[in-house]
Amino acid sequence: MTNQSTADSVKSVSTIAICGNPNCGKTTIFNGITGLNQRVANYPGVTVEKVYGRFSVGSTNKRTFNLVDIPGTYSLSAFSPDEDIAVAALIGSLKDNNVPDGIVCVLDATNFERSLAFLLQVLEIGCPTVVAVNMVDIAEKRGMKINFKKMSQALGGIRVVPVIGNHRVGIKELKEAVADLSNSHPKSVGINYGSETEHLIEKLSDKSNSRHRNRAEYLRVIFDADSPAEKRFLKEEPAIVDVLQKGRHRIREVHGSLSLTETGALSVKASKIFNQVVDIVSPAKTSKSERIDRVLLNPILGPIILLLTMVIVFQSIFSWAEPLMNLIDSSFGWLASQVQAVMPPGPLQSLLTDGIIGGVGSVLIFLPQIGILFLFIAILEDSGYMTRAAFLVDRLFRWCGLSGKSFIPLLSSFACSIPGILATRTIEDRKLRYITIMIAPLMTCSARLPIYAIMIAAFIPHITYLGIFNLQGIVLSSLYLLGIVVAIIVSFILKMVIFRTERGSFLMELPSYKVPTVHSVSIRVLNRAKSFLWRAGTVILAITIIVWALSYFPHDGDITKKFASQTEDVNLELKETTSIYSSSLEKFYNSAQLDVQNTVDNIRESFLVSKSIEELALIRSQMNQQYPELYNQIEALYEIRRHKLATEATLTELKNSEAGTHLRNSLLARIGKTIEPVFKPLGWDWKITMAILAAFPAREVAIATIGTVYNLGTETDEESLSLINKMRQARWEDGPRQGELVFTPAVALSIMVFFALCLQCGATVVTIRKETSSWWYAWGTFTYMTVLAYVLALGVYQFLEGFVN
Amino acid sequence: MTYLNMMTPGQSGRVVGFLDDTKMVRRLFELGIQPGRLIVYIRNAPFQDPLEIRIGSNSIILRKSEASLVAVELDK
Repeated sequence: MTNQSTADSVKSVSTIAICGNPNCGKTTIFNGITGLNQRVANYPGVTVEKVYGRFSVGSTNKRTFNLVDIPGTYSLSAFSPDEDIAVAALIGSLKDNNVPDGIVCVLDATNFERSLAFLLQVLEIGCPTVVAVNMVDIAEKRGMKINFKKMSQALGGIRVVPVIGNHRVGIKELKEAVADLSNSHPKSVGINYGSETEHLIEKLSDKSNSRHRNRAEYLRVIFDADSPAEKRFLKEEPAIVDVLQKGRHRIREVHGSLSLTETGALSVKASKIFNQVVDIVSPAKTSKSERIDRVLLNPILGPIILLLTMVIVFQSIFSWAEPLMNLIDSSFGWLASQVQAVMPPGPLQSLLTDGIIGGVGSVLIFLPQIGILFLFIAILEDSGYMTRAAFLVDRLFRWCGLSGKSFIPLLSSFACSIPGILATRTIEDRKLRYITIMIAPLMTCSARLPIYAIMIAAFIPHITYLGIFNLQGIVLSSLYLLGIVVAIIVSFILKMVIFRTERGSFLMELPSYKVPTVHSVSIRVLNRAKSFLWRAGTVILAITIIVWALSYFPHDGDITKKFASQTEDVNLELKETTSIYSSSLEKFYNSAQLDVQNTVDNIRESFLVSKSIEELALIRSQMNQQYPELYNQIEALYEIRRHKLATEATLTELKNSEAGTHLRNSLLARIGKTIEPVFKPLGWDWKITMAILAAFPAREVAIATIGTVYNLGTETDEESLSLINKMRQARWEDGPRQGELVFTPAVALSIMVFFALCLQCGATVVTIRKETSSWWYAWGTFTYMTVLAYVLALGVYQFLEGFVN
Repeated sequence: MTYLNMMTPGQSGRVVGFLDDTKMVRRLFELGIQPGRLIVYIRNAPFQDPLEIRIGSNSIILRKSEASLVAVELDK
């Protein structure tokens, strides 16, 4: 922000809140007004997301506004703790939180009467308000005409703007109306709650002495019994509890019900205004949505279509993302090699290439998959299908202690648990939401796949049963299934033991189908991708650097020196040997005829093509057959090339072995060796233990670590045959099992089971902490998953070992 | 008189009142399930629960446990 606009903002930035029922198109209008100029924050101390953006009106006398998106709610009477925070922010009943300078209340024209009741509640705040009536086009198509002039009169003269949010019709007028808000003074629209209520409001405001409250706040305190609103009020005004209870008792006596007294009064008034301002041209007929629902919500077809949709989504995630992931992988590899080329070797070069570039790369590599998943979810959400999916699976999920609303978060977690955990925000029931968060990391995310792939390829035999069931495939599917089964059991236990909850609820409106707009879908995807990169990226990068430091230091100079002198020796030897053969060759060459010289040149060229000793030997025998008279020269040329190739191989080996020696002497290795006894019962040696430790920032790091510790360099991936061979040959270095093979199928399975269940992802731990506002849940999830991983991996290993013996 | 959870798909009736005075009832009311209004029972989800009803031009989905709070007079 420039100084100029900062100076302006002091004078003219007013805060405008935008509110409305769920599915009224509020977010589309919010996006239309602010565009990409949005920020996401949390309300202080809680996890309710506060999305806000800025916009300006006017060309000469430009004014800037801060627009806050209040989460959609059916009424100001909060249904869940999260809703309570949003509502309290709107009506200004939170500490240090004033009412906004203005309110934009979005009404759904296709759901007009209910929207009106909500508006009437909002008007009780007494804050300057603009009304946006959204989806007027659909309402008109359905045969309903709204007289906006009459409506404005009926509401005491406030501005009413017709809007078609997804076509951006009326957005400009809405902005101008907001700019005029400071000149408007809302009048009471006169809702009759009955004299008992009015009397109670008067009494409460007389007796309360801490601060001035608006009518909406008193209405919340009176009508929302046992609510956070009531608790907040009584904390400030503990003396008035009797007045409040007596007043409520009186209302119940007269009206029969407390909560329905308010809603009743609102609906009477709303229906009166509705009849004044709406002309029904033609009666509603079976809508398009209902015709679609006859197929998509059909008891048999519905679940099949849902399943197919999921299969298509996951197929696309993995197949579309593949080329992009390869591109990111190779670009970061290229970048690292460029840095290696221009920088002298040392800690700084290693930090840049292995720590920072590697760390950023390991975050970005998941972006394609996550972006595609977000795209599908945004399309499915905006079209209205997500609510239907929740409807279809609710019963199934309830058996596991969850609800239909847990479906999307858990589905997302198969790509990455971070967007999955963020997606739980739509679950109103706090306990249900926490259960979903705590089991989301058990879903097999894409970072676990590389480890599964290499372990299965190396140690699970390629056997096919009954012609179709491949053992490798069975193991992979079992690992996915293991996560799901454990998640079901854990959620069941959590519900029974920790979150003993009254029946959860599943009550919502089924929105009409809509064609998602590019604008709204792209803003959703961009916002979520940004939030993933920020949340996951910073944590993964930080932990990657810590693990890099642990695996780099102490970086003993003697080791470097020893390898440098060995390298020198090898180079020197090459030079000497080459020169002996070269000089004899030189003599012959200089004394030979021109055509013989050419033949020798050709033979030299043929040898240069060879890339391996075997290839070279083949060429040598060919040449000897072809030119038996040049036997000595061919042998000399052969020796020169052979030494060259052998030296190159030795140098690579030396380089990898140097990296391996450093790693085996690193702090990380020392930690691995120290805690080896803990993991020995799982069949692991200290190298595996170390790789598991290194994988904490991000699981896929394990492979590169194993690659380095076995002197293969970091350029190993899950298809690397040399890594597979090395692992197959690795033997215990000491202890009672000295000389035995380290990796057996039992060890591979215990590693995979451990990976399937352990929360080896620092970014997820931090995300859980942020979403639940408590380290308790973050470390609780980490602990239960790690303990489960250990116990089950131990069980699998010991069982298989016992089985074999 | 019966309760919303006892109805079957295709049936319709008028809301008579509520069994309870809770937040849940309030939310049902706000979603349009109000005494005197016509409710049409549209369908059940797989495994018979939750269910979809229409009230006016709105579709509402709710569980049977929630529907059991709504008293309904069936249309003849």
